[in-house]
Amino acid sequence: MDGGYNNYNSFGGGGGGGFMPGETNSPAGGKTGDRDNKTLRPVTIKQILDASQPFPEAPFQVDNADVANVLFIGQVRNISSQSTNITYKIDDGTGEIEVKKWVDSTTADNMDTDDGKAPGDGKSELEVNGYARVFGSVKSFGNKRYIGAHSVRPLSDINELHAHLLEATAVHLFFTRGPPGGAAPAGGAAGAGGDAVMGGADDYGAGQNKALASMGPVAKKIYSLLRNEPQDDTGVHMQVIAAKLNIPAMEVAKAGEELLSTGVIFSTTDEQTWAVLEY
Amino acid sequence: MSLQTPRILPSHLHAFHPSNAGSHTTYTVRLLGTVTALHGSTGTLTCGNNGDVTLILKSDARLQVGKLVEVVGKVADLEGGQGYGLRVLGSTEWGDPSTCDYKIYEQVVNATHRFTSIFYNVE
Repeated sequence: MDGGYNNYNSFGGGGGGGFMPGETNSPAGGKTGDRDNKTLRPVTIKQILDASQPFPEAPFQVDNADVANVLFIGQVRNISSQSTNITYKIDDGTGEIEVKKWVDSTTADNMDTDDGKAPGDGKSELEVNGYARVFGSVKSFGNKRYIGAHSVRPLSDINELHAHLLEATAVHLFFTRGPPGGAAPAGGAAGAGGDAVMGGADDYGAGQNKALASMGPVAKKIYSLLRNEPQDDTGVHMQVIAAKLNIPAMEVAKAGEELLSTGVIFSTTDEQTWAVLEY
Repeated sequence: MSLQTPRILPSHLHAFHPSNAGSHTTYTVRLLGTVTALHGSTGTLTCGNNGDVTLILKSDARLQVGKLVEVVGKVADLEGGQGYGLRVLGSTEWGDPSTCDYKIYEQVVNATHRFTSIFYNVE
């Protein structure tokens, strides 16, 4: 009886574990759009302060990509407790920003118990000049930018801080220079965290990048140009692309075929004018 | 603009000295290392295999020999023309140096100076 029960238990646990990969795989394969942006980006505070907003109320953009949630690590410079929230001033050496963590007085914050800490408002564990890892969304109030924090927790391992800075660099490069591989520049991030970084970078990209990864360097260049070039709805003409990238029109046409056939770009006013297909 | 404190290695000290800081808007820097000696108002910070830096301490500094610390400070001249030192403004203790892979820090310094746009304003 007991044995049967235990079996059931372990089986249940195993079954849950077995289901998870399948569950996470299928949406990842199907979700190729940028619209449903639930990504968590590692950033520096300077990137948040520099983030642009195309129009009021629009999502903030870092490196021309929308950011929903951000993750950063910095030193707590000030803690001020109000009845509804705790405001931290966080400084990571690249800038300083306010972080607001709303206090839920009715339920204990379960996220803080993950690493064995007693449930609490998180305030007791964070101290001024100590390091904190912050995860939240970028908000603005008037002209002031702040972070609506989901989680603020103390950081004790300095390697985590360093890994974060490298990760932020890698993701910045991913958005500005395209996925790693091919003619990717041997960046500073390469040495120590290269592999992890490349694996990690994949997670942040839209699904389109999966299709893109298998394409030639010219196709990648065209794609990133189309993405970043200021343009109207009709996109960019092939000849313009060829001129901008300084690549023969023939090659541009060939690489364009590649992109068109996989559906990451589409032709607009005529066969030779292309725009990035965004869902 | 808020204060920025670039992470550096001992070999970069000269670039952040006030006399050479024309290319930097700030010369307050961060250095990571192990405290290897303390002599009253000065101390020695050993930065992995990248050499030592003399720290000029404030009277209320609470450093301990053998600990890994991250120091925020300004590059200053040492007395008697012994090169550059760091006037300590603040420090964070990180405990046992063996818990930190200093090579990662070297990569961080490298990355932050190679891809400055996301870390520091350089003018």
